Amino acid sequence: MSGRGKLIAVIGDEDTCTGFLLGGVGELNKNRKPNLLVVEKETSIAEIEETFKSFLARSDIGIILINQFIAEMIRHAIDAHMESIPAVLEIPSKEHPYDASKDSILRRAKGMFSAEDFR
Amino acid sequence: MRVDQQLRLDEQLLLFMDQLEALEEKRHKLNSLIEEGWFSIAKARYSMGNKQVSSLQYASEMEPLVYIETSMLEDGTAEFKCERKENKTEELKSNTIEDIGAKETVSGLRRRINTIQKGVKEEDQETDPQGKTKAESGESTPEHRDPLKWFGILVPQNLKQAQSAFKEVITLSAEIASLQSAIIAIRKEMQGQMKEKQQKTEKTQPEMENE
Repeated sequence: MSGRGKLIAVIGDEDTCTGFLLGGVGELNKNRKPNLLVVEKETSIAEIEETFKSFLARSDIGIILINQFIAEMIRHAIDAHMESIPAVLEIPSKEHPYDASKDSILRRAKGMFSAEDFR
Repeated sequence: MRVDQQLRLDEQLLLFMDQLEALEEKRHKLNSLIEEGWFSIAKARYSMGNKQVSSLQYASEMEPLVYIETSMLEDGTAEFKCERKENKTEELKSNTIEDIGAKETVSGLRRRINTIQKGVKEEDQETDPQGKTKAESGESTPEHRDPLKWFGILVPQNLKQAQSAFKEVITLSAEIASLQSAIIAIRKEMQGQMKEKQQKTEKTQPEMENE
């Protein structure tokens, strides 16, 4: 499929969003909704979940980057996402290092083995 | 048939393990690059001031400089490739320099013969505004788009280091997304094959018991 490529969306704390904006992922104009959400202490879980679902619904987003501690707040929504595109990548935050045991993708991959499979 | 199936399962398992190892390696690199980026941002904030490096500095209008090209493969795996717009703006710049060079030679020729001059002048007038707009857009778009400019004209080296770290993170993110998709696809296939294998062993077991 030719045409314009897809965007990278970011749901993270201020430093994470600042860093990725420096990298050049940000899109903000009058016509389209922004592709990032800066999560602060006052940001509600409902707002985070709504933004995440809106990113999933958009056809112009290819990857969603989300701090893992924020992903924990909306784990049920992330686990419910089964499509390949957009891909959801959990990234660490300053206060919360990356924990592979909490990652949705790795938990799905880990759950495939059971004792019966090795008979 | 059964031996082939088992061999195929073994191969898939080995591929799955290799992909998991590659994913872990890339994850580790991504995490350390992100931490490096944060550290550089913190250093820049220390030298510039708390409020000088924050969401207050974000532009009111932004245009993305990096895009993700996605493609779906036959086995249901999605591939992600990162593409930057900077390369295209550099090509535009090089085009404008060539145009300017061509214009200079034409203007040299213009002085020789008057009759030809008029025809050439008309052409030049047509190309000049285009050339100017190209040069303007070529010069202004990279500067205008560079998010580093939101934080001031002369930014500390730390902020540039943070930018390059996060640029690498973005490229790695695309690779990790591709790997994740491949891992999930292989997992699904292996699960299906294991179920098939289980069903076949359950069928053969009562036959053996009857014998």
